[in-house]
Amino acid sequence: MANNIAAQRIQREFKEVIKSDEVAKCAIRVELVNDNYTELKGEIAGPPDTPYEGGNFVLEIKVPETYPFNPPKVRFITKIWHPNISSVTGAICLDILRDQWAAAMTLRTVLLSLQALMAAAEPDDPQDAVVAKQYKDDQEMFRLTAKHWTAKYAGGPGGNPDFEMKIRRLTDMGVEEDQARVALSSYNWDLERATEQLFS
Amino acid sequence: MADYFEEMGWQPLADGEAPDSLLHFARLLMDFGMFDVLGEDKKLPPPAAKEAVKNLEEKKCSDADEKCTICLKEYTAGEIVKILPCKHDFHPACILPWLEKTNSCPVCRHELPTDDENYEQYRKEKIRAKQREAEIENLHNSMFS
Repeated sequence: MANNIAAQRIQREFKEVIKSDEVAKCAIRVELVNDNYTELKGEIAGPPDTPYEGGNFVLEIKVPETYPFNPPKVRFITKIWHPNISSVTGAICLDILRDQWAAAMTLRTVLLSLQALMAAAEPDDPQDAVVAKQYKDDQEMFRLTAKHWTAKYAGGPGGNPDFEMKIRRLTDMGVEEDQARVALSSYNWDLERATEQLFS
Repeated sequence: MADYFEEMGWQPLADGEAPDSLLHFARLLMDFGMFDVLGEDKKLPPPAAKEAVKNLEEKKCSDADEKCTICLKEYTAGEIVKILPCKHDFHPACILPWLEKTNSCPVCRHELPTDDENYEQYRKEKIRAKQREAEIENLHNSMFS
């Protein structure tokens, strides 16, 4: 397995990523998951001046046998509140991971593009319609929610006592914590509407 | 008037040829710039034209040459590499499978011609739309500056 084009290419890319400046700055990182270079773990630091700052986001990277002629399959393992990333599955909507892929792109350019996507969302081409709507309608609410998710799932700074209190109200009623967070986030932290949705 | 048809990329019907309603409908959509309705902007562009691939420039590598950006291997002296019109070079074994998939340079997206008539039409239309925009901008500037 380790002798096909895809595996050789990944091996070479490893050297490139490990050498690059971004690693020194701890902004991106790639690790092997198995020995045949088909599955990797990526890590991206949340870009500065965004609600993701201070968080560390883990990605699942699957390299197809036809790589680099086809893009790697990438999804967020760390839960994230972002218009172009599914808050449930972590699936990513990014053109270079679909039809705009080019064979000269690498894991490094993919991770840097994802970091850029985190800094500049594309709400008109959403993956998560609920997040995208909030992003367009209420920027401040979006920022607070994304920051809360970063603190909760990605080890970011700062909590939000108000949000925590509302989640506890729901978990006290027997709702699972993640589920409560999704419902509250989706309804702009309106406890009544989130409860209604969860129990209807 | 011939110029108008030429500008639109249209040809008269051949003897006995019937109009193609589907094509007319597609043209109607195109006239309104609705390539997105046809899904043209979301599709991977078609493979490069066979003729264009066959005629790609080649050169023999000297020592100083860098590496192939597809496989990331360094070229060895004396190796034959293919050169795209944008001057980016690759191993034949690396670039040929890519051009069988899509028509653009993996580094800079410079587009080679394709054998797909629809796509060529779309591309022409895109270029024309850009030209028209520039012309209008020009006209506007000359009137109001």
